[in-house]
Amino acid sequence: MQEIALKGFGEVVKTVTFRVKRYSPENADMPRYMEYKVPVQRGMTILDGILYIKEHLDHSLSARYSCRMGICGSCGMIINGKEKLACQTQILELGKDLIKVDPMGNYEIVKDLVPDLSKLFRNHQKVKPYVLREEESPTSEYLQTPEQREEYAMFTDCILCGMCLSACPTNAADELYLGPQALAQGFRYISDNRDLGFEERLNVLDSKHGVWRCHFSGACSEVCPKGVDPALGIQLLRQLLTENIFVKHKQKGTTRGPERKSASGVS
Amino acid sequence: MRESQIMFIQYMTGLLILVFGSFHFLLISALAPTTDKVLYSYTYLNGIRTLAGGTLYYSTVKAVYTSLMWGSVFELLLTFLVFHIFNGFRVILSEQFPGSKAEKIITYSVLIAAMIVFIWGSRTIVLMLNGGL
Repeated sequence: MQEIALKGFGEVVKTVTFRVKRYSPENADMPRYMEYKVPVQRGMTILDGILYIKEHLDHSLSARYSCRMGICGSCGMIINGKEKLACQTQILELGKDLIKVDPMGNYEIVKDLVPDLSKLFRNHQKVKPYVLREEESPTSEYLQTPEQREEYAMFTDCILCGMCLSACPTNAADELYLGPQALAQGFRYISDNRDLGFEERLNVLDSKHGVWRCHFSGACSEVCPKGVDPALGIQLLRQLLTENIFVKHKQKGTTRGPERKSASGVS
Repeated sequence: MRESQIMFIQYMTGLLILVFGSFHFLLISALAPTTDKVLYSYTYLNGIRTLAGGTLYYSTVKAVYTSLMWGSVFELLLTFLVFHIFNGFRVILSEQFPGSKAEKIITYSVLIAAMIVFIWGSRTIVLMLNGGL
């Protein structure tokens, strides 16, 4: 095999075998694993390895990626049995000569390592992931102190990579389950002092396939690449909904700040 | 009924089953209406080992089951158990077979099964309160 070194990386340290799951629903092929020998240079990530395969060994391999720096959340996949962002996972840090790469679980597969994330976005949409207010076009900002933001700050780090949904055992059985991502985002907006959408979200969050179906395995929190703890969000949401049985949860909704003038001087 | 209310009852009945279940087991030990707190006690009648008493002796068990207080404890335990078990079934089956049609079938099937078990169990308790069959 001709070893082609990638530019911008160190010297080739060793050769690693990538065992990649291949599947193309369009061709009605059965899923199968294919092996590729990849020369690993210092600093190479799994995504670099996959791109190496695509460029030099097999052009037909499909994978989704974008930013290559753990921000966009596009390259989530199962690497050696665990959900990881391919761009954040160093090949040498895995310490293995055989690397098994699977597409994320609990999703339909578009092709090879590309999952169909429609379910994730659909569930995300269901919890109305935005501040709900009655005013249609507010002319100034809603006030919030740093302490008030701190109450839900962790949950704003979600990049919608969908790895929590892939790792979630409940989602594997119950395809209508909202999933950790949507539930954590539901909590994020309910606990936002600017929001007034608690009652509106209740029908979705407090439903048969909502927050109460979580088995608290904690897999979602374990795999989150941004350190978000969706399992905690779900438990806090449960606490809030239980309290709501006895004392109705009331959102006050923060007041608006002074109107600001735009750069042109027109408010 | 909201799912949060159902699940709150589910957790509460789980706790109450522990409490009332403990009573149930204490009934054949520390709380049994006998002097000897063993399951079975024996005596020798004409040299033959014979059952003489104990917490599971027929007359002891009958004394417990004909008591209104213990009958009430059993009825409550039955109520908590029926709700907890059958709602648990509903949850598990709804996860396994999601979909509004399947869920409707599951909910009503489980409800009917729960009512049959509850009525049958209550009948047994009431019959025992009246001295048995």
